[in-house]
Amino acid sequence: MREFLRRWQGVLLAAIGVVATLWLAATNRLGFYIHPRYFLFTVIMAVIAVVFVVAAFAVIPVLRRRATDAAGDGSDGHDHGDHDHDHDDHHGHDHDHHGHDAAAAGPAASARRRLGTVAGIAIVAGTAVALLVLPPATLTTATAENRELNAAAVGPDSAAPDLVGGDTSSFTVKDWALILRQNPDPADFADPISVTGFVLPSPDDEDVFYVARFTVTCCAVDAQPVGVPVHLPGWQDRFAADDWVTAEGRLDVDPAGGPSPVLVPETVEPTGQPEQPYVF
Amino acid sequence: MTSPVSAPARPASTTRRTVGFGVGVAAVLLLLSVRLFAPAETGEALSDGVRDGITLAISVVIESLPFVFLGTVLSIAVQLFLPADFLMRRLPRTPWLRRAVVSLFGVLLPVCECGNVPLARGLMLRGLSVGESMTFLLAAPILNPVTIVVTYQAFGWEDGILAWRIIGGFLVANLIGWIFSRHPDPMRLLTPGFQATCAHAADEQAAHGGAHGRAAAPAKARQAVRMFADETSAMLPALMVGSAIAGAIQIAVSRDVLVAVGQDAVWSVVALMLLAFVISICSNVDAFFALAFGSTFLPGAIIAFLVFGPMIDIKMLALMRTTFTARTLVQVTAVVALASAAIGLGVNAFA
Repeated sequence: MREFLRRWQGVLLAAIGVVATLWLAATNRLGFYIHPRYFLFTVIMAVIAVVFVVAAFAVIPVLRRRATDAAGDGSDGHDHGDHDHDHDDHHGHDHDHHGHDAAAAGPAASARRRLGTVAGIAIVAGTAVALLVLPPATLTTATAENRELNAAAVGPDSAAPDLVGGDTSSFTVKDWALILRQNPDPADFADPISVTGFVLPSPDDEDVFYVARFTVTCCAVDAQPVGVPVHLPGWQDRFAADDWVTAEGRLDVDPAGGPSPVLVPETVEPTGQPEQPYVF
Repeated sequence: MTSPVSAPARPASTTRRTVGFGVGVAAVLLLLSVRLFAPAETGEALSDGVRDGITLAISVVIESLPFVFLGTVLSIAVQLFLPADFLMRRLPRTPWLRRAVVSLFGVLLPVCECGNVPLARGLMLRGLSVGESMTFLLAAPILNPVTIVVTYQAFGWEDGILAWRIIGGFLVANLIGWIFSRHPDPMRLLTPGFQATCAHAADEQAAHGGAHGRAAAPAKARQAVRMFADETSAMLPALMVGSAIAGAIQIAVSRDVLVAVGQDAVWSVVALMLLAFVISICSNVDAFFALAFGSTFLPGAIIAFLVFGPMIDIKMLALMRTTFTARTLVQVTAVVALASAAIGLGVNAFA
């Protein structure tokens, strides 16, 4: 088993990773995990890796056979199917990373080896479950609460959008968060606005929740929540944290007296999670 | 690769190869069907926190995997196509000058840090010393065009962040290279597994001379596939473990605690270095991420983040552990951390 693992662990993990990646790309969900600028590169490298993985199945069993042949142990039963028999075979000229282990015999060494094998199997199994069995997911409010809201509303491509004459209907949660960060005068916003995001309770004011999104610069690890505050007393009765909602209404002076305007909604409707839940 | 490369392929092995291809395709399809038919309800039993930890770990894997593949392919290319003495003949002979040149390799090979580990292993098998390969490993993520352009986009010339990042990266990488070049027996810095690989590569070179360069194309292709299997067997388990730890720690460590100390000259540096260590973000884009802290943190802290992060973080340590002993990595981490902190504190104090 150890021998099998040593030879195939990398190929198996690569296969799992590649299948997961290509499936996410095909079902349009790669964006749950990484920034769109990496999509093309990721898919190209995954395709190259698939070629190597399939080729490995063709090449490695033959290589092994030759190695055993060369060591004078070339009975025909040794194909890649019965990997369990060759723990202590000498692999001729073969790559033997662990040759030193064979010398260090003894119960401690063999226990360590067994532990290594178990860990190796656990890594492959765990990776397969995480990448192939669990359904793809986006981050939840558990992470949003752990990270500073609207800290990331600065960035190279996030200069405050132009309000004057701008078409605010295409503004994202991130755009509005950026604008609100500058504590503008609510009188500038005549038209009602509409934002879609998940419900993130405000830590300071129980009448307020944020319509929030995660913004991602590289991958989900660096996701930062951005959000537009919505003033709606009693919102807890209608929504729970993490529910996706669309809020429509006007920006107005914060009834609680904060410096930044808040959204005073006319309607807040539940909605489904959008295809691309993050903003970039 | 035992039989002479010129030997005609035996029909038996051709058949077996065709069968192998079939098995390979079947295995990939099997994994795909697991993915397709996995019930969507799995995972609903997990709490949000655990869910997010897994999501974060997966995102590190999906992000890093293509870079590891790219690094592996480049490493294979270096070993198969670069003549053994190519580097040795062209690099300067003076050790410090040589390391200075090696630290600029990243300009030609703008791979992210996780791809640099397999590449550094390939370069070591092609004659680079341990100290030199460490210099490459630490310098390349910072001294490469992608990182520099992105850092410029994020910060411009503001507060000397870009300049100090480049200078700091160069100095720290060369300092490490110099320290480890003085080790009496550099092979002992390497894991036994990688030592064996090195010894094997040296044997092969002695046995075949320049045979690599003249081997027939099919033989080279087979060798490339075998190297891919070997290299991924070393790298991917480390990547998976590193990503899992990185995901778990994100959930365990509250980020608010880290960012609460932004204006303190000393603690801000420590906090952002800790964040860099924990978050294991790719060096090509970490400047965008750091920009989010630009308004609340002192420039020295940002610089320490941008110098320390690409060199050392959880994921990188897991990957480097495939090649270097734990003891070596503790020493490297300590020196890099102290040097990065010194640069950050210096900028906070004097700039």
